[in-house]
Amino acid sequence: MSSRQAQGTTLFTALLALVGIGVVVQLWLLTASVDALLRRETGTALHAALGSAIVFVINGLLVLYVFNFDRKIKQR
Amino acid sequence: MTDETNDKDGKKDDALRGKKNARWREDFPVEWERDNYVTRREMVKFLALGSFTIAGANAVVAAIPHVVKASESPRTKVALASSIPVGGSKLFAYPTEEDPCILIRQPNGDLVAYSQVCTHLSCAVVHSEKENALFCPCHHGYFTAGEGRPYAGPPSRPLPRIKLEQQGNEIFAIGVEV
Repeated sequence: MSSRQAQGTTLFTALLALVGIGVVVQLWLLTASVDALLRRETGTALHAALGSAIVFVINGLLVLYVFNFDRKIKQR
Repeated sequence: MTDETNDKDGKKDDALRGKKNARWREDFPVEWERDNYVTRREMVKFLALGSFTIAGANAVVAAIPHVVKASESPRTKVALASSIPVGGSKLFAYPTEEDPCILIRQPNGDLVAYSQVCTHLSCAVVHSEKENALFCPCHHGYFTAGEGRPYAGPPSRPLPRIKLEQQGNEIFAIGVEV
């Protein structure tokens, strides 16, 4: 395994942990917004949805970055 | 006879190739261990998809109150204003016959209406004139008569409020505030 590949493996593991944390945060936001909806607080649900969308965008960018990194290694 | 010969030949082949290279493995090349193996790449893809799904679910939850508000509610006559004295109440059904509601005239003369279904475990709430509150006899939950907010007992969510409109002496229910 080259040093570049080893770097890629570490990157994948770190990314996996980060995206996992992001998904847990999103789950928390979802439960909070459902709770707010049942309490008739529409503002909270809207903010939670916005936060969840931002976390999703961050997750998506991280995944794209690491897949691009992987593609570059394979091209070499 | 020919089949038996083939079977014997097959077993011989398997024995010659050893267990790892057995003939049947050519037809079923996927190993049990590999079948359960999830790569980091697959896991990341799964999480990204999960992230997308949760973000979508969150957007749907945020949109629900706006969609519910937009949907049209029927306009139903529920009572005559003169028939409800101060501190009195009247039961009616809205928006369907299966949705019991309660109309109350408060001490200041204002009329308010709520769903009669307790937000704790769906028992029917009743009006307590003495405390000017809505009382759930099942688990002793109390809601304020003015806003329908819970202030004692197990309920944590307010009662859905029924929007009212008065035309002359007639009172109409025109919607439900979720």
